[in-house]
Amino acid sequence: MLKKDLIAKNPLRILNQDAKGKQISQRMGLVMSRAGLGKTAILVQIALANILDGKKIIHVSIDQSLDKTKTWYDDIFKDLIGAEHLENAASIAAEIMQHRMIMTFNVSSFNRPKLEERLNDLVQQDIFRPACLVIDGFDFTKASREELADLRELMEIMDLNIWFSAVSHREDDRVSANGIPAPCHEVDDLFDTVMVIRPPAKDQLCNTLNIVKDSTGSAQAGKSMQMDPASLIVQG
Amino acid sequence: MKKDLNKVRNIGISAHIDSGKTTLTERILFYTQRIHAIHEVRGKDGVGAKMDSMELEKERGITIQSAATYCTWKEHDINIIDTPGHVDFTIEVERALRVLDGAVLILCSVGGVQSQSITVNRQMDRYKVPRIAFINKCDRTGANPLRVAGQLRDKLKQNAVMMQVPIGLEGDLKGVVDLVTMKAVYFEGENGDVIREDEIPANLMDECEAKREELLDAASMFSDELMEAVLEGTPTPEMIRAAVRKGTIALELTPVFIGSAYKNKGVQAMLDAVNLYLPNPKEVENTALDLDKNEEEFAVSNDPDDKLISLAFKLEEGRYGQLTYIRIYQGTMRKGDTIVNSRDGRKVKIGRLVRMHSDEMEDIEMAHAGDIVALFGIDCASGDTFTSPDISVSMSSMHVPAPVISLSISPVDNKAQVNMSKALNRFTKEDPTFRTFVDHETNETIICGMGELHLEVYIERMKREYGAQVEVGAPQVAYRETITQRAEFNYTHKKQTGGSGQFGRVAGYMEPLEEGNYEFVDNIVGGAIPREYISSCDKGFQKSLEKGALANAQVNGVRCVITDGAFHAVDSSDVAFQLAAIGAFKDGYMKAKPVIMEPIMKVAVEGPTEFQGGIMGSINQRRGMIIGTAEEGNYTVVEAEVPLSEMFGYSTVLRSLTQGKAEFTMEFATYRPVPKGVADEIIKKAKADKEKK
Repeated sequence: MLKKDLIAKNPLRILNQDAKGKQISQRMGLVMSRAGLGKTAILVQIALANILDGKKIIHVSIDQSLDKTKTWYDDIFKDLIGAEHLENAASIAAEIMQHRMIMTFNVSSFNRPKLEERLNDLVQQDIFRPACLVIDGFDFTKASREELADLRELMEIMDLNIWFSAVSHREDDRVSANGIPAPCHEVDDLFDTVMVIRPPAKDQLCNTLNIVKDSTGSAQAGKSMQMDPASLIVQG
Repeated sequence: MKKDLNKVRNIGISAHIDSGKTTLTERILFYTQRIHAIHEVRGKDGVGAKMDSMELEKERGITIQSAATYCTWKEHDINIIDTPGHVDFTIEVERALRVLDGAVLILCSVGGVQSQSITVNRQMDRYKVPRIAFINKCDRTGANPLRVAGQLRDKLKQNAVMMQVPIGLEGDLKGVVDLVTMKAVYFEGENGDVIREDEIPANLMDECEAKREELLDAASMFSDELMEAVLEGTPTPEMIRAAVRKGTIALELTPVFIGSAYKNKGVQAMLDAVNLYLPNPKEVENTALDLDKNEEEFAVSNDPDDKLISLAFKLEEGRYGQLTYIRIYQGTMRKGDTIVNSRDGRKVKIGRLVRMHSDEMEDIEMAHAGDIVALFGIDCASGDTFTSPDISVSMSSMHVPAPVISLSISPVDNKAQVNMSKALNRFTKEDPTFRTFVDHETNETIICGMGELHLEVYIERMKREYGAQVEVGAPQVAYRETITQRAEFNYTHKKQTGGSGQFGRVAGYMEPLEEGNYEFVDNIVGGAIPREYISSCDKGFQKSLEKGALANAQVNGVRCVITDGAFHAVDSSDVAFQLAAIGAFKDGYMKAKPVIMEPIMKVAVEGPTEFQGGIMGSINQRRGMIIGTAEEGNYTVVEAEVPLSEMFGYSTVLRSLTQGKAEFTMEFATYRPVPKGVADEIIKKAKADKEKK
């Protein structure tokens, strides 16, 4: 297997471009599901799709350790390769490391000024200029609309794709007009793309990843993809 | 009299630098009445702590060599190895862990789990060492033992459970509540040696009950009896202790104790915990290799009546000759006995057997399985196994990392020359990560080790202990070369002028080897190269690996396959085929697209968050790759991989960049190809050096 086959194996690569094949430089995206269905795995696959496309990403982990986050990348990379032999695997793994940076925050201390300060440390010294941020563990139940709007503004200023993960709860059945569940039902207009992971239907094994909303033109709302039950890899 | 092995503990004390291990050891020695006064590490009395016996250690306030010591606490014999915290001396930590049955992991209640604690923890996992944690320095401003216990769970993946709750913190630290007995314990008197038990202060009752609940939950996983008793509301302290002990020895539970060694609080309770929860030598399975049965692994018996098996794990140059620290795994060692070094089969007679107390010693007549003692005047290397003369056994080998840095040293005069050789001979025996050789081209003596500080300390010791003044060259990184693609070779070595002729042809190919340094494959059919010259080809290739054509660096990761050749009935010889192989290697090497590899270090820089930008900038300037940043309260840890060649002098840069508030640790991670621009520089320099010679 060559690098291009690895890229082709990841269906989430479609999110990098709009329908005309133009790169999407700004987007606020959201991956939602109940606990344990694979949000982090999807964020990592989105990040890998960007990295293999030559872009730099920052993975912001809130309340998760650096090592744990690194392990996610190692595992998903291994699962993407699967049983096949990837040529130059070591140099591709090194490329992933070079294009990825992990930042961990405590849940209480994560906010826009702090994130912006850290990003500026990197960008102004020309150490690392990310094209995409994935933010895992952001607590939507405690975040106000203003805080999210603030982060959206940061996305625009810094010309970024930002992907969030959010946990929904079975007992909270509130949804927005677009079908986006709580706790994000009142802020769904701030997101350009929203994907929801649903547990397998009866007699099925696989979780499905549904694109509920997309205003960037990279995917069609309503599109649904299956996730491998063991590895949580999105199937083409 | 035979010892009751149930009452023997062999423990190590390991931790991050500056978290107070040496101070803690000092208190242990005081409370167990091995010493009669307390001296601080950098104390004003100028005596220095007992365990820091080397002059240099006293001066720098760091512990360089682990000194073994022995004490008794409540009828238990405890052998303690004080281990260094700096990563450059990790071999010392590893060797100590190899022979220990349990360990106390010291953590600072302010700094928490720091990078070095992670390294040490990983090493303890490797050697399956059960451990208890002691959160020290609870008297310091900002002390937060609960946060540190949380880090033990999150960062070190330990099932950490609080065994105590502090009574007051920082300047108000008065004592601890023992959650097993639910009693408050106060350490009073000038040296904290008067222990008073009392009722739990009312304001702490709720917290203590909640924490005891957590303790019972965790401990009852290891004992059905305790689980039933908890359900019935009748757990006894004995049941809880037995369950915690079981979980600790199974490496599934880490009981956490708290205190302040400096303020004399909590140390005795920690000593009780060593007796109560850490295993005795019988409870740990140690294995040895039976050399008569093709190195078959077997468990040692721990029986003092069995044949002797012991391991020399540390050497020290004492005033009266070489001192060899030994752990006895089975059998009994007596003064006057003859034992065998299983590495070279040499028999030695035990002249003096001593029990060590830092730099003082006590002569003993015999020592049994489970003991750690020292032998006098025995010539051996660190890691050697000593056994009874009638068995042939070796303890499994120890993990020894390869050195990554070297520098040249030259003695200033003849006297220094003699002393330097003596010193080097000694150091290489003591420390397997310290190596030395003479570069035949430059005639310089090269020393290699695990980091700048590692080598600096040996140079300093050479001067102080051996009076050997040496001039030191700039540190050199140990580059390697490797090939990146397959290439054919075909070379004929022919010399027929004068004397007997030489003839040999070697053909085949070389290719990158994914694992390992070198492999030789003989695919010759039909006797194109006679059998007796096959090993000559192997030798020739191995010689070629010593110095690569790019940067004179050692060549790694090559498989040489010979497929064809030719010989001459009269002129072919061992030398001719060695030279033919050297020629063949030269022929194929450049076609195989060789690259230069450099050692990459895993670096963790820890400092106040306000300096984060500067720290990242400094790593970036050093061709470092930042892996991530982690927030720890007001501190940030920047993790990165940086080429070793760029790390020289980094401590000074970091100090000035952060007003001395940041610190860093590094350890060898891997070898990676150097970027083109840097490779060109290295090749240029190697060429210039060669021309100079």
